[in-house]
Amino acid sequence: MSDTDTLIQTEEVTSLDVPWNVVVNDDPVNLMGYVTLVLTKVFGYDEKKASILMIQVHRQGRSIVWTGEREKAEFYVQQLQGHQLKTTLEKSQ
Amino acid sequence: MPTLEGGLRIDTENFNDWGILRSIVVDANDATTHDLASRMGALLSEEAGGEDWQEYIVPDLREGFHDELAQVGAAIESAIHIADSGPGPIWINRDEVFPWYSALNQARLALEERYHFGPAETISLEGNDPVRRSAFMRSKFYCAIQCLLLDHVMGPSKAPQQNP
Repeated sequence: MSDTDTLIQTEEVTSLDVPWNVVVNDDPVNLMGYVTLVLTKVFGYDEKKASILMIQVHRQGRSIVWTGEREKAEFYVQQLQGHQLKTTLEKSQ
Repeated sequence: MPTLEGGLRIDTENFNDWGILRSIVVDANDATTHDLASRMGALLSEEAGGEDWQEYIVPDLREGFHDELAQVGAAIESAIHIADSGPGPIWINRDEVFPWYSALNQARLALEERYHFGPAETISLEGNDPVRRSAFMRSKFYCAIQCLLLDHVMGPSKAPQQNP
């Protein structure tokens, strides 16, 4: 055994991921019925919930349509943009 | 006109009507504005990974939009060929409805990007610019077809019920 030994200590730090919001923004082109249809198709929401979110988009200019882990949020944003909805991704506060 | 199979049939009366249908693809591919996929990509902030989005996701979006336009463009050209450029029908079946809706939407989004018509209730055609007026009428026509597709073709249980 040598005179000097090296002590290696590892420390695990675990932190919860910050949730991310999937946000649909209003635009003058997409029809309200289409927005509702896309929300039911992409998220599996029932028509009532999808309609409430669509009305939020229409009246308030935006609606948080889903919140959760980043990877899944990115998937949903890609799906919604693929349906031509004006969709963004933002950190949940 | 809705069909018994749950689709939609558009009857053209002359060559000009085919020209209007062809304009769906022309409008959607408007080269004077950034393409739709790029505009979608630009919506993501740097914090949300906008740079990676442009690099990895936008090309997929672009390809998807392009494929839908190509499918609709081919359907229109095929119908024109069958009708020998004269009066004739074109069918939008249920399994083709999303590409059709998408193509019409791409055209309307491109027209909106270029002319900024705004929400339907506030549209103004001041100045009587004939190019803008024509674009507005096309946008209204595309929107009318989209409404028919939504009402009669898209979504569940739109096909007529079969008798047992």
